[in-house]
Amino acid sequence: MPRARRDFLKFATAGFGAVSALRFAPWILDAEAAQASAIDAIRNDLADAALAAARTLGATYADVRVIHLRTESVSTREQQVQNVARNQSAGFGVRVLVNGTWGFAASPQLTVDEARRTAEAAVNIAKANARFQRKRITLAPVEPAQTSWRGAFKKDPLEVPLDDKVQFLLKLNQAAMATKGVSFVDSSMRWMSEHKFLATSDGSRIEQQLVRGEPDFTVTAVDSATGDFQTRASYAGPQGMGYEYIESYPWETEARQAGEEAVMKLKAKSVDAGRYDLLLHPSHLWLTIHESVGHSTELDRALWWEANYAGTSFLKPEDAGKLKFGAPIVNFVADRTQPAGLATVGFDEEGVAAQRWYLVKNGIFVDWQTTRDLAAQVGRKASNGCLHAESWDSVPFPRMPNVSLEAGAGATSLEELATGIDRGILIMGDGSFSIDQQRYNFQFGGQTFWEIQKGKVAGMLRDVAYQSRTTDFWGACDGLGGPETYRLGGAFNDGKGEPTQLNAVSHGCPVARFRGINVLNTGVKA
Amino acid sequence: MLLTAEEARRITDRVLGMVKADDAAVGVTSQMNSNLRFAANTLQTSGRIDTVSARVTVWIDRHRGTSATSDLSDASLRQMIDQAQELARLAPVDREYLPTLGPQHYEPTRRYVEETATLSLADRARAIDEALAASEKAKVISAGFHQAQATAGAEATKNGNFNYERSTIASLGMTARTPDGAGSGYFLRSHIDIRRVDTRLVYKEAIRRALESRGGRTIEASSYPVILEAQAVADLLSGFSLNFDARSAEEGRSAFSAPGGKTRIGDKVFDERISILSDPWREDLPGAQAAASGLPSQVVYLVRNGVLENLVYSRYWAERQKRDPTPGPVNRIIQASGKPATVQEMIQSADRALLVTRFWYIRSVAPRTATLTGLTRDGVWWIEKGKIAYPVRNLRFNQSMVQMLAPGNVEMVGTPERVGASEDQGSSAGLMPALKLRGFNFTSQSEAV
Repeated sequence: MPRARRDFLKFATAGFGAVSALRFAPWILDAEAAQASAIDAIRNDLADAALAAARTLGATYADVRVIHLRTESVSTREQQVQNVARNQSAGFGVRVLVNGTWGFAASPQLTVDEARRTAEAAVNIAKANARFQRKRITLAPVEPAQTSWRGAFKKDPLEVPLDDKVQFLLKLNQAAMATKGVSFVDSSMRWMSEHKFLATSDGSRIEQQLVRGEPDFTVTAVDSATGDFQTRASYAGPQGMGYEYIESYPWETEARQAGEEAVMKLKAKSVDAGRYDLLLHPSHLWLTIHESVGHSTELDRALWWEANYAGTSFLKPEDAGKLKFGAPIVNFVADRTQPAGLATVGFDEEGVAAQRWYLVKNGIFVDWQTTRDLAAQVGRKASNGCLHAESWDSVPFPRMPNVSLEAGAGATSLEELATGIDRGILIMGDGSFSIDQQRYNFQFGGQTFWEIQKGKVAGMLRDVAYQSRTTDFWGACDGLGGPETYRLGGAFNDGKGEPTQLNAVSHGCPVARFRGINVLNTGVKA
Repeated sequence: MLLTAEEARRITDRVLGMVKADDAAVGVTSQMNSNLRFAANTLQTSGRIDTVSARVTVWIDRHRGTSATSDLSDASLRQMIDQAQELARLAPVDREYLPTLGPQHYEPTRRYVEETATLSLADRARAIDEALAASEKAKVISAGFHQAQATAGAEATKNGNFNYERSTIASLGMTARTPDGAGSGYFLRSHIDIRRVDTRLVYKEAIRRALESRGGRTIEASSYPVILEAQAVADLLSGFSLNFDARSAEEGRSAFSAPGGKTRIGDKVFDERISILSDPWREDLPGAQAAASGLPSQVVYLVRNGVLENLVYSRYWAERQKRDPTPGPVNRIIQASGKPATVQEMIQSADRALLVTRFWYIRSVAPRTATLTGLTRDGVWWIEKGKIAYPVRNLRFNQSMVQMLAPGNVEMVGTPERVGASEDQGSSAGLMPALKLRGFNFTSQSEAV
């Protein structure tokens, strides 16, 4: 299991001499900084104009988001660079509440006049719809805040020289290709720096700066004699970290291991379908948490607001505090303050401060994810801060916070949990995933599968997927690793809503053991 | 506001005029999206979003850099170009570089309807009010999404090519649920012309399906004969075109790879009545006048009468393999040779089968066999002796798409209808037929409604 830095640093500093002297010209960074400064200089005037126009035209509530988003991506395969791209997007969105009906409009033109026009467009939309509104939208109160917040990243990835990134990826590819039988490797890194400003008619003015990164790779081994091919993608996921993520994870060691395992998968034993005890590594389990726990505990789904797309939930509004969700050792925490979390913020998109709260406590479902309109809908006094907008041109709506499974109290290791398994499978890495629209029936694959016989991890298996039902699955959890096994996984692009918006979200968990889960053989003869 | 051809050309000319690199491709896009979302029989969010963006890819001595911006001011475009050129200066050689296209002749396709781009907010609100009123009358609880989108933009190259295109799409999708949560129905339609999105058809079908699917019986997960409505076929096959990538197939990592580094071109891969093609000039599904490579799009048969006829070659891969690049696909059409059957005829001909209206959360399980997993959703019925007998509860499937369409498994093929994958929310569409299949592999039960 790749955990230590080991050899990484010495490779990272070895470099490719020909390009290692190259750095971004300072004026590139200066030009980006100048644009950021120009936005900073106008944002209060722009917000004042939009909020005043909205109020004059009849809005009882309004908020303005001014966002400057910068992204960078580098993609490679084998020993060649496929693309390097650096983009920026800036604009603002105005959301208004008129006669209990939402309206929203957005524009990339950052001027005071455009702010007034955009506010008017949002009000016109709300008024056109308000005639036919059935149930007026109201908002739970929030204490206004005037503050700024910065994510805990250490090294701004957009200031790291490009050649460092290229070197890193090509070296990683070289390690992945070192094993005989590896045919291809694709690798990439994506970075996102978001500078956002929120002004609300309640009086909040909040500035936030977030950084997120997603390094990734996939190794492919092709057996041309049989026409078979197998892949092994990275166990590491995206993080709410800066470039220090590259320097704190053993990427190259994992790439080498991935090459070996991709080749090994071609010859691995195809699993016999049946019931197995499963030992699920955090690099895999985060996705099961995301789909079965993260989405089922969204209150908008339980109220059927997502019925036309993402779906509803098996949980009903009256289930909080009563429904048995899992075994008593199972505790899920929603947390927008978690270090390195992709959904970690200072405040949500309507000025509600980041919070930490239990969704499932001692196996009982106890609480929801809410926004100000959802909280008001069910008679709550306050939102727990789950409003999100992908960018300045996105209508804000409820999205998932970081949702994590708490580690066991002791120092239980993966090996100790395996000891209690007579016939089982250890699954590492996330693979195929699918769940029904109420979050009952799910099926997950993985990257690598290891047979456990009489307490010991034996050889590799292939063609494995497990299928279960959310509360049965979490009820079958009888062992949790200690804090030493806890790790954060996550998704950069979790889609939900209409129009679909993406959310980045993390899920932490320890290694965990589940008894008697249904395993399928997914192999089909070509 | 959408860019006119003249405005788009002014911008691309301005960018190309400022570029100092050896070669460059520039794009500019403007878009308007207006949407209204409703749920729990009330109006939720509604917005209008206007966006513009420009992007440039440059090559300096075959070194490549790309940059984009949402600000079309001279200063911002200059910064974008400088950034791309700086990236190219720092990047290693682009080994897949080919000179950008010179002037091309594009045969126009009609993809833009002014009435969609200038929709009336009042008309839309009234249409959704009608859907909500019908839901209230039928005592169901509805959620849905209406959107209209218009896009206009251009691509230009330093070698003299210029292509301006504009398009529109409007859609309405709706889910109706019975208040007890025992029945759910869905219907989705889209068109380039907002006047041809039949609001009444959408809400009537969604409500009917909700009421008629109530109280589904649980059946064993097994392989069953199935009748897949066009929506279900669109859900399954919207991502299937990825399998036709020539490079993946020749590299040995596709469902159409064959042992020994070969491909399955020329093989009879599907039932002989099945053809899969792209046709930019289909009236109900016009495609872009330029393919992804920038080449003028043409009619492309990927599968003709069950035989794999073409794979999709990019300009780079075609050059390397000494082939012509593929001028498509730009849309998705599955059609039958011979007389198509209606869904009613398929039902009447079935001794026993499942009628599936929609699939959901479809993901790849085994790419070599194009095996997917996912679930039925919003209405499944058991058919016995030529008639719909009763609704059944949802099931999960694990099914190879190649085997699904293979000779021997396809019994009947319907008339292609314009329908989009439900996970795309109406933002894309294909021409898809209903299918009657001898076997479809269901692997577990779901109690979701």
